[in-house]
Amino acid sequence: MIPTRRDLFAWGGGLAGGMLFTPVPWKVLDDVSIWSQNWPWIPQPARGPVEEKLSSCTLCPNACGMRVRMAAGSPVGLSGMAGHPVSRGALCPLGFGAHQLNWHPSRLRNPLHRGRKTSWEEATAAFRKALGEGPIAIIDGRTGRAASTVLERFAAAHGATYAAARTAEEKALGPYQRWTGVPTSSLGYDLENARTIVSFGAPLLDGWATPGRFTRLWSERAAGSSNPALRLIQVEPVQSRTAAFAWRWVNVRMGSESALASALARVLMEERLVTARGPMPSESVNELAGKTGLAAETIQSLARALVERGPVVAISAGDNPSVAALNVVLGAVGARGGILRRGGGTKSPVPVEALSGRMRAVLIDSTVPWEVRPNVDAEVFRFAAWHGGTTTADWLLPAPGFLEALTDVPTPPASAIETYAVATPLMAAEGSKDAARFLAEIDPAAGSLEDAIKARCEAIYHAGKGGLIGPEPQPVKGLASADKLYEALGNGAVWTGEAGTPGGLRCDLKEWPGPSAMESPAGWTDGWTAPVLPPLAAKLYRESDLRQAPARSDV
Amino acid sequence: MPRTSIFFGFGVLTALAAGWLVFPRALYERREQPFRFPHKTHAEKSGTSACNDCHTLGKDGEFAGIPKTKDCATCHADRMGSSPAEALLVDNYVKRGRETPWLVYSRQPANVRFSHAIHTRLAGMTCRDCHGAEGESDAVPVYEQNRISGYSRDIWGHSISRLRRAPGDGMKMSDCENCHRRHGVDAGCLGCHE
Repeated sequence: MIPTRRDLFAWGGGLAGGMLFTPVPWKVLDDVSIWSQNWPWIPQPARGPVEEKLSSCTLCPNACGMRVRMAAGSPVGLSGMAGHPVSRGALCPLGFGAHQLNWHPSRLRNPLHRGRKTSWEEATAAFRKALGEGPIAIIDGRTGRAASTVLERFAAAHGATYAAARTAEEKALGPYQRWTGVPTSSLGYDLENARTIVSFGAPLLDGWATPGRFTRLWSERAAGSSNPALRLIQVEPVQSRTAAFAWRWVNVRMGSESALASALARVLMEERLVTARGPMPSESVNELAGKTGLAAETIQSLARALVERGPVVAISAGDNPSVAALNVVLGAVGARGGILRRGGGTKSPVPVEALSGRMRAVLIDSTVPWEVRPNVDAEVFRFAAWHGGTTTADWLLPAPGFLEALTDVPTPPASAIETYAVATPLMAAEGSKDAARFLAEIDPAAGSLEDAIKARCEAIYHAGKGGLIGPEPQPVKGLASADKLYEALGNGAVWTGEAGTPGGLRCDLKEWPGPSAMESPAGWTDGWTAPVLPPLAAKLYRESDLRQAPARSDV
Repeated sequence: MPRTSIFFGFGVLTALAAGWLVFPRALYERREQPFRFPHKTHAEKSGTSACNDCHTLGKDGEFAGIPKTKDCATCHADRMGSSPAEALLVDNYVKRGRETPWLVYSRQPANVRFSHAIHTRLAGMTCRDCHGAEGESDAVPVYEQNRISGYSRDIWGHSISRLRRAPGDGMKMSDCENCHRRHGVDAGCLGCHE
């Protein structure tokens, strides 16, 4: 029998149909998908001995303690450091995947001049030339670091302006600095002792300050309870995640947070719910209520709820003098559970917003969030580890990525306790240079990072206060020398100083502050636009964005 | 019976035979280990009976894996017998100070971690639960490498259909998830992934 063309088609049809009842298509699909994960151009961590190191996260200023899992000498996994005085074993989603960032496609590998590849020599020559030709500004994103000392020294030696980009948490503490003269870097919130927190748009459950600090507190004292030990009242025009999980969500009109803070203060003083006496808002409760979109009775009941369970503290998302004045009225400034003065801190430099006009050049450190652009007409030298999208910088200079360079980690903003840690390089930084090293090469008198960190260790050692938390906890007084302190910090220990105590800060209002436009809520995601999220964080973040909050409003 | 149906049926039978009989053999490349290693002999002659006498857990719970050549050298500094395996071990690895390039049956992608300490100490599992009676074998099994994915056959499991498998046969993510689900363990993504 000679098979015909029709027979071959029938056989082929049977073959194809029968194949579906074998493991072939399914197994091949599975294997091909695994094979595609291991293409040679996909970075793979090396195989080798596994060890664990302690360090501090340097992605943002909030100084979370990290355990770094290393394989063959390279970081392959990150998790929180249990017992860390501020982050308390937690990390944000970005922190969990931060070790992947160094391989991100947006990583800057070469110096760029207006989009064209250039060299470090050309960039150095251009900055050197600019130095002698007119006013210069150096902008720091995290003051108080050893690198900040180098930047500040260089600026002082060359007549440049040393300016700083402040975080939302630092801006929120701005009014207290203006009223008391205590720098924001010496102020913190005593959240651990507060029993009611009223947040004016601050994303407390979504990455505000050191993310683990408040989320741990909230999970221990508030989560899932209708009568929580810690009451969180969220004032916000949209139902954010923080608003959704708060004890009460106060749904106000956009931009009317100042009016609500003023109205609350007026009710508190008129009804003698607080002992504070002093300047009151000029507008009546009814006038202020009209601005917020809430009924006057609602504001009155909210004011009573505020003082029902103290200590109470108000937190704003940005620089909002009315919210700060509300804290003065509530007696939360310098009081237990309120805003405390702690040790350490440095004098606040010129804020970046104050820079204007024409300058010869501006150097921006890699710690400055990408979207911060000084309002000056100048040649811009921008350090960054990752390209964050559109830029007006003339020079883009590759900075070391995550855990690629030695840096110190001072007290995070909003912390009530002084801390100090050192993050040592755990990966090689190829072709990159941080701003401090760049400037120290131009003028060695600015000093080195290592020397500045050692000087800070000397200061802590000679002060003899506080102790180390980490692999070998011990008081500073128990250490043999400052070098031992430097060594212990390099091995992942965290120095904790004395916590802020009530009574160290006094604030009296001379007049009620005028209305201020509310700044949009800000948090740790601000400096990290979508392209620089590592794959793991992008997935976690996307999933969390899909989480819908139950639609409810208590007020 | 129509002629077309006969050819169609013949096609189905061809596919079934190829898919179930030929494909599993063709998919895996058989690779011999560097030399024969008898677990049984070692257990008998050295008097060691517990797996963790040789496959130790570090004080931080990290699994040390396969013993290093220096551990073998404590007994095999010189040839202890006349077997070819003994000669290979001593001449190629012990005397040259090289590690034996064992083919690891359980090797997972680099973004996966597995803690033996958690499974044996916290969950109370025995080595046999996953590794079977490997400790009583005369020779380690042949390593079968998937020609497409590059991983060991032990990851998928020895049953190509993944039906009626022995306990511990298969180390795919779904196997971890199923076992965690059965025991009410919530490891999350980061419990196993870097």
